[in-house]
Parts: sequence; C-alpha cells; structure tokens
Amino acid sequence: MSENSSFNPYEMARAQFDKIADLLDLDAPARELLRTPLREYHFSVPVRMDDGSVKVFQGYRVQHNDARGPGKGGIRFHPQETVDTVRALSMWMTWKCAVIDIPLGGSKGGVICDPHELSAREQERICRGFVRQLGPAIGPLRDVPAPDVMTNAQHMLWMLDEYETIHGARFPGLITGKPVDMGGSLGRTQATGYGVVYALREALKELGIRPGDTTASVQGFGNVAQYAVELYEQLGGTVVCVSCWDQQDQTSYAFRRTSGIGLDELRSISDRFGGVDKVRARELGYEVLPGEAWLAQDVDILMPCAMENQIHADNVNLIRPSVKVVAEGANGPTTPEADEVLEARGIFVIPDFLANAGGVTCSYFEQVQSNMNYYWEMDEVLGKLDLKMTSAFLAVSELARKKKLFMRDAAYVIAIDRVATACRERGWL
Amino acid sequence: MAVTPATSIDRGAPSPSAGVPRFDRHFFDRAPSISRLGEGALGGKAASLARVDQRILPSLDRERFAGWDVGVPRMVVLGTDLFDQFLDHNGLRELALSDAPDDRIAHAFVKAPLPTLQLGDLRSLAREVHSPLAVRSSSLLEDALEHPFAGVYATKMIPNNAAGADARFRALTEAIKLVWASTFFAAPKAYARSIGRDVADEKMAVLIQEVVGRRRGDRYYPTLSGVARSWNYYPIGPAKPEQGLLSLALGLGRTIVDGGVAWTVSPAFPARPMPFGSVGELLRGTQTRFWAVHMGRSERDPLRETEYMVQPDLAAAEYDDVLRHVASTLAGARLVPGVGRDGPRALDFAPILGLPGIPLVELVKELLRLSEAELGGPVEIEFAVDLDPRRGLPARFGFLQVRPMAVHGAGEELPESELSGDDVLLASRSALGNGVIEDIRDVVFVEPSTFDAAKTRAMADEVEAADLRLTGTPYLLIGFGRWGSSDPWLGVPVDWSRIAGAKVIVEASIPGMSPDPSQGSHLFQNLIAFGTLYLTVRSGSTIDWERLRAATAVHAGEFVRHVRLERPLSIVADGRARRAVVRTS
Repeated sequence: MSENSSFNPYEMARAQFDKIADLLDLDAPARELLRTPLREYHFSVPVRMDDGSVKVFQGYRVQHNDARGPGKGGIRFHPQETVDTVRALSMWMTWKCAVIDIPLGGSKGGVICDPHELSAREQERICRGFVRQLGPAIGPLRDVPAPDVMTNAQHMLWMLDEYETIHGARFPGLITGKPVDMGGSLGRTQATGYGVVYALREALKELGIRPGDTTASVQGFGNVAQYAVELYEQLGGTVVCVSCWDQQDQTSYAFRRTSGIGLDELRSISDRFGGVDKVRARELGYEVLPGEAWLAQDVDILMPCAMENQIHADNVNLIRPSVKVVAEGANGPTTPEADEVLEARGIFVIPDFLANAGGVTCSYFEQVQSNMNYYWEMDEVLGKLDLKMTSAFLAVSELARKKKLFMRDAAYVIAIDRVATACRERGWL
Repeated sequence: MAVTPATSIDRGAPSPSAGVPRFDRHFFDRAPSISRLGEGALGGKAASLARVDQRILPSLDRERFAGWDVGVPRMVVLGTDLFDQFLDHNGLRELALSDAPDDRIAHAFVKAPLPTLQLGDLRSLAREVHSPLAVRSSSLLEDALEHPFAGVYATKMIPNNAAGADARFRALTEAIKLVWASTFFAAPKAYARSIGRDVADEKMAVLIQEVVGRRRGDRYYPTLSGVARSWNYYPIGPAKPEQGLLSLALGLGRTIVDGGVAWTVSPAFPARPMPFGSVGELLRGTQTRFWAVHMGRSERDPLRETEYMVQPDLAAAEYDDVLRHVASTLAGARLVPGVGRDGPRALDFAPILGLPGIPLVELVKELLRLSEAELGGPVEIEFAVDLDPRRGLPARFGFLQVRPMAVHGAGEELPESELSGDDVLLASRSALGNGVIEDIRDVVFVEPSTFDAAKTRAMADEVEAADLRLTGTPYLLIGFGRWGSSDPWLGVPVDWSRIAGAKVIVEASIPGMSPDPSQGSHLFQNLIAFGTLYLTVRSGSTIDWERLRAATAVHAGEFVRHVRLERPLSIVADGRARRAVVRTS
C-alpha cells in the first residue's frame, strides 16, 4: 500500500473490520480472531550476491485466515515493505476470497528488496531462499502464492522449481500466475479487467441503464484497464478518456477523445507497462491532459484501474454530476473520506475487492486445473468467471438494497460473515 | 384463397431484435419463451418464430383445441453481432472464405473461444437445463432474400443430459460453433453462388431451442414431426392446390428436411392413402427409420452434425410404444390402423389422420390459415408433436418454423398439340413450375445405356462435378428416379446445393427406378423458390437420347455426360395444365 509513513494500512484494515463487526454484532472472540492473522512467518533469506558477498533479506508470509480453504495471496518484492502492509493485504485477501465465494483463505508475502538493483540471478536466489525458509508452511493444500508487486511469472517458476525439488515431485498447484505452457490458465490475463466489466454490466442492469448509452473514463492503461476497456466496448459503451503513468516525465497524463478512444490504436502506441506515446496520441486526435483530468470527465462511469488512494478528499469533488457508477478495478483506489462523499452523492460504487476479484477467481481456477493437471478451454474459464462474478455481485447488491447499506459495507458484511461462519463451523469459535 | 404473386408476400417480420427480451439466465422458469443474447439481428428463422409467438399464436382459439399445448418451444437466440465478433476476434474470416475443406473450417471454429460477454449466460443455461437442445441456424440472408435456406446449414441436437455442467456447457458451445462454421461449408457456398450472392455477406444468428419430445430409453424424440404447406404444387386425385399439403414423419423432423421418406397427404383428404400401387409397395415406400437424439454415450466428434443422433428402425419405435398413433398393421392384404395385432407395420399415420379423437389435421389447417393471414400469402410451417403415450391427448405441438412459400405468377399456355414434333427433345405432362426459358445450351444427363441403380452415388459425384464446371451457367439436368433424396435406391442422391445451377431438372423413369416425386422434400421448395422447372417424364413418353448423344461432349464420365448444343433450347412450361416441352430450336 502507500509508502507514506503516516498511513498504516493494517490500522485501516482493522478499522474497516471493526465497523463491520459492529454491524454484524460479532462477539469478542470472533473479533479477536479475525482482526489478527492466524500465523505469521518472519524470516531471513541469506543470498550470495553476484560479487561474492552475502546479503540477508527480510521475508514475511502472513496467513490471515484459512478457515474457508488454503491461503491465497501474492508475494511482493518492495524496498519499503513492512509487516503491517503484508498483514493488511493478507486480511483483504481473506475478505476478497470470501466475497467472491471461492474456497480459499487470505495470505500475503513479501521480501524487503528492490528488484531494480538486483540481477536476475540474485532475484532467483532470493526466490529459492524464500521457499527454503518457508518450507512446509506453503503448499497446494495449505497456502498458495502468486505474483504481486514487482514479481512475475519467472519468480513464480523459480519458487515452484525449488519447492518441487525439495518435495521430490511436481506440484503445479503450489503457485499461480504461471505461464500458460507451464501450468497457467487461459484467461488469466483478461480475468481482472473482464471481471470488472461483468460486475459493471450487472450494476447497469440494476440501475436500468443501457450500456450502449453510457460513456466511461478509465484511470490506468495497464493489463486491468485494457481488458476492462475491451469488454466494456463490447458491451456497447464508449470510453472517452484513459490516463496512464509516463515513465519519462514521472507524472501521469490523461488522453481524451470525446468521440471515443481506439483501444487497438492506443495499444499500438503504448509500451509494455501501459505508457502511451504523447506525440503520436496527439497526431491521432487525442487531447493530452494532466493525469487527474480522468476524474473530471462528463461521463457515466469511472473505472479507477491503476493504484491505491487515487480518489481522495482533495479531488473527490472533481467528479462530475453525470457520474453514476464507480467500478474499482484497482485495489483501494478510494480513501474512506472520499467514500463518504460518493455515498452522500448517491454514486453506485462497486468496491475494489468485489470488482477486481476476477483475478483471484482465475487464480483459483488455475490452481484447480493445476491440481488435476487438466486444463480448460478459454470458453470454460471465462464462462465460469462470469457466473462467479455475477453471483457475487448479485449477493452484495441484494444485501445492500435490503439492509440499505453502501455497496462496500454490504460486500464486507457478506465476506466477514462467511469467514466467521466457517470459523464457527470448524469449532474454532 | 388465390395464389398471390411472390412480390406481394409480406416478408416484413419484426425488426431485428424488437420485442424479444434479453436472456435473463432463466430458461425454463419464466416467461417469455423467446429471449436473446447480443444486440444484433435475429435472422430469418428466429424472427419468424418471434412472429409466431407474438402475432400468430395469440389468435388461436385455445378452447377449440383443448388438450393441445401449442407454442414455440423455449429458445434463446444468439444475435448476428455475436457471429461477427466471433469471426473477427478469432481472425477466422480468411479461412472461412477460403476453399479449405469443411472439417478444417469446423475444427478452427470449434477450438476458437466464443464472445466473452455471452459465456456466463451460456454457462448458466447449461447449468439449468438438463434436457435435449437443438442448436439451429437462423440466417440473415434467408431473411433478407426470398430464398429458402432450409437444410443448407447445420442443425445440431445435443442430449444435454451429462451429469456435470462442464460437459453440457462444452457440448453446447461446440454445437454453436459448428453451426457458425457450417455457414462456410462447401454446400452453402455453392448455394450462395447459385443465387448470385457471396457467402461473405451472410450473417448467422443461432437458436438454442428446447427439443419437443420425451425420453424413451436411450432415445429422445417427438411422436411425429411435420411440414405443412398452404399451397399444394402436387395435387393428386381430388385434392386442390389451395387445400395445401401435409407431410408427417415419425421422430425428429430431420427425416423430412433431408428429403427422406415421409407420409404426405392433402389436409382435405387426410385419410386418403398415398398413391402406392400395392400394399407391398406401400410397406417398402414408407418410413422405416427415424431420427432421435441419443441420450446414451455417443462417440465424441464435435465436427459431426449428427454426433448425438441415432437413426433406429421401427422395431425400436415399437419397443418404445409410440407406433400406436402413427402406424397401421398389415393383416392379410389390408392395413388396419394401429398396432393391436401382430404383423408388418406401415407408417401411414392412419390412427391420427383417419380416426376421430386427435384433431391434428384440424389444428394444422387452422395454424396454416392464421399464418397465411399474418404473412399475407401461402406459407410453409414446420412442427413437432408429442402425444400422450397412451391416450394421445394431452399433446404438445411445437411450432418450429414458418416461412412464406414462393409462388410464381401467370401461366404460359401450352396446348397438348405442342408436345410433339420433330424438334421436341422431351415433353412432360407432369411438370412443376411455370415459364419460358431460352438461354440454356448445356445439358447434363445420366446416360441410360450405362445406368445401374446400384451406382447412383458415383453418378451423384459426376453430376456435382458438372455443376461445379458450369458454375454460373444455367443447364438442363436429366436423370432417373427421384432428385433430392438421400436414398441411393430412389434416385441419384444429390442434395440441392450440388445441383443448384440446374435451371430445369428432368426426372425420367427407367426400369428399376421409377418412384413417385418426393413431395415432402425441401428440394421442391428450393425448386419453386428459384423458379426451377421440374419435369417428370413418365415411362411411355420419350426423350430424344440420340440427339443428345450427337451433341458436342464437354465431358463424358462413366455414367453422366455433359453436352453443349449449338443453339439455346426453347423451354416452355404451363403450370396450370402441368405440361412442358423442351425443343431444340
């Protein structure tokens, strides 16, 4: 989460939990169990560097709750990693898996390191060391890692290889985010972005709005944003603005064309991180505006699909009166203060851990396929994903309607209640 | 009712998806019975069924037909926009429009992913529905043009009874993709060419429709399927053209669509038997096999249209106890309606056509009347009926298709005296169609001297080769036995697409090959739509074979010759008198 030292994500996650625990009237033991991780692993990973020296890296794996199934969560490589960040993220994974109703718990891991300053071989040694230190604490039936901030499929394969070497057999279900030809799942690339739009589609149905009559503005032009735009356009909607980070200028820009952006056209002039070429965009008829302009468009739908803390107290009032839906493709894009404004204005929010749960759902599908070593066609994956997302959305929106709750609160209520129930049914509570 | 010229037939079906609500992931639980996926056009078949549902059936006097559950079977339509998305997203157009073999095209289609936004809907359908589904084509060209495409594209039946939703979903999606692929198979391409259209213009909507019928052991099928027309081009005996025509077959309608053996009567004289020479001939000439959905394990072959179908014989139907309403039994030298005694069974539908109690014919006549009123001209309808196994009623009547019949205009008068003369190549006193043709120089004919009833499949290949050679050039086709039958013992087994270039077709007889015209087959509907003349030359009349043999041979095969005359033939057909003559000058 944020690198701002005054912001403690774990405190924020706990505060969110406490609010919902009150709504659910959870008893004291349940609160104590669920606001604290079940298990934490803190360990040192000694790595022989390319220059012959040895450096010791600090690693964490936090398993917040696995009452509903094996833990699931990414492994982050980040120089400012803190255990509180990992704790908060593992708790959010628990809620995300529960709200989308997949039989997995919540975990997260991290290593304090800066991959930009490490060679590939050094990174490989960190990955292998990480697995050796964690030993039996992870596994296909115990805790299943995945790529996260600054880790990718290559890191996962090194970890998988180390794990399989230790255990003397193939366990493709140990880890997700693998390339398709190494036990990955078709549809994984599209899953998060498509999932956002499956939820959006259902929201528009509930609001009685025809997708073909809507326009949208999207923050980000990475993987999630691109596939969200793709499917939203198939639904009939028009995206008029996208924003992205410019690596060279170290700032973000918004690209606007009121007649609608061309997805393929923008893809053709963007780098692999989703940075769009400004000069060529202008040639193609786009206005290049300051990054925050994405928020201030006369559109029906906003899709923040980039980073956390993007809609906050200082800019929430830029949102135009035309906006009816915010679909959060990113994790934590809206601060609690901004949330209050959105709620007061009657804007329909599809909360992050529901809207972007397509990613973890497809990771779950990958794990299922890997465990049986039999892989599905694209149709099968995306058909199942659609049903999962739609069912989860309908459950949340129905509760929100019945109990007159804000969508985010309704999603938390469902998630926390499911986890608490699982703990009770296991006899833990 | 008078014949209405084709131009005045109201083809104005409701606009693309008007009035058809979106699929809401509940197939059986809720009204309405027709819903759609996607925003595009519904295609000819689906649009016409929406019209049946919304405008024809509400006029039916339900009290008069108490005991009948008449309706369009539940269906979901995939709009043509999804067809476009599927082709474009998967980059399939180039292969589709190439000359690649059918199975190569089918393979590429079946392995490509479907449009993302519909997968959840299809999956929920597969999850909810456990009974057989028909995945049918609904062509846009068929809707836009006044040409029937019946039987040109694939229809896939799936049993949809696998225990797991994954397996049902897979079979459903494979069937959709196969139907889409069939748009680009060789036969439809040839057909499109024959009507001067490019298959690249075609867009295909797909219906996923409940199959009317019931499970009987490993088979699922309706008691009977039928095609009824409000205008009869083959009036036999006392029947009048305007009294229409009714063809029935046991089991699924594929029997009739394929031009197989069906039982055909005039609705005005339903109990009057078809003109068979003897009971023995009748036993041989009536339906002996029927189509059913196979509910057991089928050999997996997603590229085959009939992957989940079986074609058992009448013994199976007897075992399933469905013959009581549709068959008669040979007792001594006569047929007794029903199966109350032992003896050979004949599918003459006598119990339902001849005995009171199950007023199927009255119902069909009423539906024809209502459909004509709605469409403003002669119509053809397709249906499936499932009777109560014991009492007949209550029964389900599934309305499967309605389309206008193409009817051609004013007659050419051709007196009997014109049928003979030196320049007469052939003459017919049993001609179908009407008009004058003066641009044909090419004649493709089955050579009588080498004709062998056991070699008709080889003849079919030679005929097809000639048709391909003549692409775009009209020609006269002469052969023995029934055209349009898939039964090689009834004639040269070619389907319409393989002889689509023939402007005049002659059905001659030769010892060992002289069945009656195939009145139930779709071939005839196609002939009529194209204004193709169909001339029957019965034994007794002659064809001037020597003159044909003397003409310049373009190609001489083992059984079939293709000759080109120096000057165009003069061909006149008088539809009213049913006479026609082909002259060499």
